[in-house]
Amino acid sequence: MTRITDTIARALSGFRSTPMSRAFGSWLGKIAGGFLALLVLTAIFAPWITPFDYAAQDLTNGNAPPGWPHLLGTDQFGRDVLSRVIYGARTSLSVSATAIAISITVGMTLGAAAGYFGGFFERAVMTVVDLTWSFPDILIALIFVAIIGPGLTSTTFAIAIAYLAQFTRLTRAQIVRLKQETFIEVTINLGAKPYHILLKHLLPNAIAPVIVVGMLAIGDGIVLEATLGFFGLGAQPPTPSWGAMMSSGTAKLFLSPWVIIFPGVVVAVTVIAVNLFGDELIRALDIRDRIRDS
Amino acid sequence: MLEVRDLEVAFGQIAPLCGVSFALEKGETLGIVGESGSGKSLTAMSVMGLLPLSGGRITAGSIIFDGQELTKLPEAAYRKLRGGRLGLITQNPMTSLDPLQKIGPQVDAVARLHLGITGQQARARTIEILGTLRIPEPALICDRYPHQMSGGMKQRIVIAGALAADPDLLVADEPTTALDVTVQAQIIRLLDDLVKERALSLVLITHDMSVVAQTCDRVVVMYAGRAIEQGPVEAIFAEPQHPYTQALIGCIPKGLSEDEHLVGIPGTVPTVMNYPKGCPFHPRCIRAEDICTKTSPSLLPRVDGAVACHFPGAAP
Amino acid sequence: MTNLLEVRNLSKQFKSSGGPFRKPRAMYAVNDVSFDLPKGRVIGVVGESGCGKSTLARLILRLIEPSTGSLRFDGDDLRAKSPAAMRRLRADMQMVFQDPYSAIDPRYTITRALIEPFVVQGRYTNGTADQEVSELLTMVGLSPGLASSFPHQISGGQKQRVGIARALALRPRLLVLDEPTASLDVSVQAQIISLLEKLHDDLGLTYLFISHDLSLVRYFCDEILVMYLGRVVEALPETDATVRHPYTATLMDSTFAPDPRQRRIIAPLEGEVPSPFDQPPGCAFADRCPRATAICRSETPVLSTAFGHAVACHNPL
Repeated sequence: MTRITDTIARALSGFRSTPMSRAFGSWLGKIAGGFLALLVLTAIFAPWITPFDYAAQDLTNGNAPPGWPHLLGTDQFGRDVLSRVIYGARTSLSVSATAIAISITVGMTLGAAAGYFGGFFERAVMTVVDLTWSFPDILIALIFVAIIGPGLTSTTFAIAIAYLAQFTRLTRAQIVRLKQETFIEVTINLGAKPYHILLKHLLPNAIAPVIVVGMLAIGDGIVLEATLGFFGLGAQPPTPSWGAMMSSGTAKLFLSPWVIIFPGVVVAVTVIAVNLFGDELIRALDIRDRIRDS
Repeated sequence: MLEVRDLEVAFGQIAPLCGVSFALEKGETLGIVGESGSGKSLTAMSVMGLLPLSGGRITAGSIIFDGQELTKLPEAAYRKLRGGRLGLITQNPMTSLDPLQKIGPQVDAVARLHLGITGQQARARTIEILGTLRIPEPALICDRYPHQMSGGMKQRIVIAGALAADPDLLVADEPTTALDVTVQAQIIRLLDDLVKERALSLVLITHDMSVVAQTCDRVVVMYAGRAIEQGPVEAIFAEPQHPYTQALIGCIPKGLSEDEHLVGIPGTVPTVMNYPKGCPFHPRCIRAEDICTKTSPSLLPRVDGAVACHFPGAAP
Repeated sequence: MTNLLEVRNLSKQFKSSGGPFRKPRAMYAVNDVSFDLPKGRVIGVVGESGCGKSTLARLILRLIEPSTGSLRFDGDDLRAKSPAAMRRLRADMQMVFQDPYSAIDPRYTITRALIEPFVVQGRYTNGTADQEVSELLTMVGLSPGLASSFPHQISGGQKQRVGIARALALRPRLLVLDEPTASLDVSVQAQIISLLEKLHDDLGLTYLFISHDLSLVRYFCDEILVMYLGRVVEALPETDATVRHPYTATLMDSTFAPDPRQRRIIAPLEGEVPSPFDQPPGCAFADRCPRATAICRSETPVLSTAFGHAVACHNPL
C-alpha cells in the first residue's frame, strides 16, 4: 500500500531532473536563488559596477541623503553607501564562505574518522567538538581577537570554530547510518581496505547533506561576521563590512538613518534568501530526515 | 455479504486498480492473492473506505456490503461501519497499537464506541475476547503495554481489537507476513477457528499461495490491478486456467520429489507506473499472441468462477 | 569428499554494557556450532528470527569475529589469518545478502558495482572490464544493456541478480546465501532459486544457504541444519531424513503445503521463542515442547548421533 503511493509520488515529482533544477523549480526557490546569484556576481564584479571608490572621502558631502549621484546616500565621511554595500558583499561572502569551507573540511574529516573508527577515538573527538559548541560564538571570537588581534583572520577562524561541531556531528551521524547499509558489508566482504570503504562509499554518500547545511551556515556566518564587524572586532577600516558600516551609522542614527538601514536590509535579505534556497535544496535532495538525525 | 463489482481506483492520472470483481458469502473465507503492486492491498483499502487517506478515489464500480452500497457512503456513516461491522487487521502488529496506552483500554475503546456499552461491560468483553484468542491470563494482559509483548501476541491483540465490536466482515491484510512460521501457523489457525465459530466472513489478503490453500474457501488471483482468475480454492489449485495462476503455483516448492524443478516466471512484476497494455501478463506469458498485446481479455466463466485470459486452459 | 569448510565449536557472545539504569547482559547469538561443508554440497541452515542463522553466516566469513571456536577453509585456519591475508582470501568466499535494495551503493552504476571486486582485489585491467561485466550479466540472466543503469532504475529481482553476479566476479569457491529471496516476490524468488541451482551445477560451487523457509530449504539443499536460539538442534543428513527433534517437527507442521487437499490440523505450538538473554539451564525449547520432562529443564542436551543423525534432545521422536 505505502509502496504503491510512494511509487506514484515519486513518479509525479519527476525523478529525472537534477536536485539543483528542482530547487529552482518553485517560485520561492527562483527568487531566493536568483537573488543569491546576483549577489555573488555583484561581489565578484564590484570594481566595475560601483559608481564610486568605496574609500573615497568627501567631507563636504557627509551624511547626504539618498539621491543623485549617491543613490543610497553617503556616510559621515561622505563615502558612497551603495559602493560600500557592494564591496561589503565581497567581505561578508568571502569571509563567511572561507570560514565555512574550513569548518566543513575539518568537520568532515573529524566526523568521518569518529564515525568510522568509533570507540575511544570517537568519544574523545565528540567531547572536544561538543565543548566548542558550548561556548558562545562571540566568546570564541574574543579569544581569537585576544590572540591574533582584530581583523578578518580572527573573524574567519571564529566562524570556522563556531560551526565545526555542526559539521562534525552531521558527518558522523551520516557515516554511522551508512555503515549499517548492506553495500558496506558487501564491500568489506569483497576484501576492501578501510580507505576504499571510506573514500569510495561512505564519504560520497554523506556529502550531500553536509553541503546543504554548509550552504545554510554561510547565511549564519554572514550574520556572525556582521556582528563582529559591528563590535569592531572584524574588518578594520577602511575595509567595508556590513557590520562595521552599521556600527559607524549608529552615531547619527536619527540624522542619517540610510547609513545603517541599507546594510542592515542587505544582511537580512541575504540571510533569508540563503535559508529559503537551502530549504528548497533540502526538499529537492529529499534529505530532511538525514539532517535531522545528527 | 460482500460484493465488489468492476472496481476501479485512481490516484490522479494513475489507475492502479482497473476492474476487480468478486463476491463473498457469510461464513466464507476469501483469499486475495497477488505479488507486490498487484493491487491486493488497495482492494482492501477500498472496501474499508480508507482510500482518501492516501489520496486515491474510486472512479467506477460498486462495493455492496450486506445490501448497502459503500462507494457513495458519506464518511461519517463509514466511520460507524469501520471498526463496527467491518473489522480490519493490518500487516504490521508492531505499529498498529498505540505504544503509550495499555492493551485493555485500546481494545475497550472499540466496543464502547461502536456498541455504546459502559467501560465495565467493555472490559468484560475484552477479557472474554482475549480468552477466545487463547491469550493466557487475559485480565493481566489488559494492564500491559504493547512493548511488553511479542510479535505474535501483538497480532492477537490487533485481532482482538478488530473483533471487539462484533464485526460481520473481517479484512486481514497480510496478517502473518511479519511473523515467524510457527507463529504464523498459530494465527492462521486462530482466524480459521474464528470464522467457523462466529460465522464471520473473512477477506484474507496475502502473497502466499500456501496460506490460501490452507485457509480459504474461494480465491481471487490478482495481477497488475486486475482480478485475473477466481473460483473455489480446490478448483483453482487443481485446474488453474490462467497461465499466471499456473505459474504462481509452480513457483512454490511442494515437497520432496527429486525431479521437481522450480522455474519462476520470466521478467519482472510490473509496477503501477508501467502496467502493460492489453493483457497485463502478456510480456511474461508463454501463451501470449498478438491479440494479448492489444486487447484486455474479458472475464470468461470457469467452474464456479471466472478467468480473464484470451487462451485459458490447463497447462500444456 | 574433502571439506571446503570445517566449523568447530563456534560461538559468539554479545554483551551489552550496563548503565545507571540497566544491568549488563550477555547472550549467545551462536552457541557451540560445529559442522562440515564438503566441496560441491549445499547445506541449508533453517530457523526462525533470532535463532542466530545470519550471525552464523557472518562469523564464518569473519565479518563478525567469533568469541570462541575454530574455522577451517580448505584446510587453512581462518582465525589465524592476518587482516591482509584475510582480505585476499575473501575472493574465495563470497556472500549474497538478504536485502538487494541496499546491497548496491545508490551512487554506483551496475558496471561500477561489478568492477569493484576486481578493483578491490587489485585485479582490475582497463581493457577487459567491459567484457567482464557483460559476461557476468549474461551469466546471471541479465541483459548487458543494463550495465549503465543505476540501482534505483532496476527491479528487486534484477538487483539480486547483480548481487549474485558481483559475488561470483572473483570466482569464489564458497557462496554463503543469506536469505537471498526473502525480500522478493514469489515469482521472482523462484527465478533466483533456479538461477542459483544452475550456477551451482555450472561452476561447481559450494553453498551455505540460510533461510527461514523450510520448504525452500528442503527443495534446494542436500543437508539441513535446524537452529533454535543459537544452537543447532538437529542436523538432517538428507532432506527426507526422519525428523527426530520436536522443534523440527513443529517447524515442518507449521509449514503450509500449497495444496488445499492437504489441509493439516496443526497441533498449535503455544508460546514463542524466549529471550536469548540470561537463559535458564536446560533445553531452550523445553517450555514449548510437548515432550519435555524434568531433565529437559536442568540439563542442556548436546548433539548426539545415537539415533542415526545428530539430534540435541533428551526425548527425541
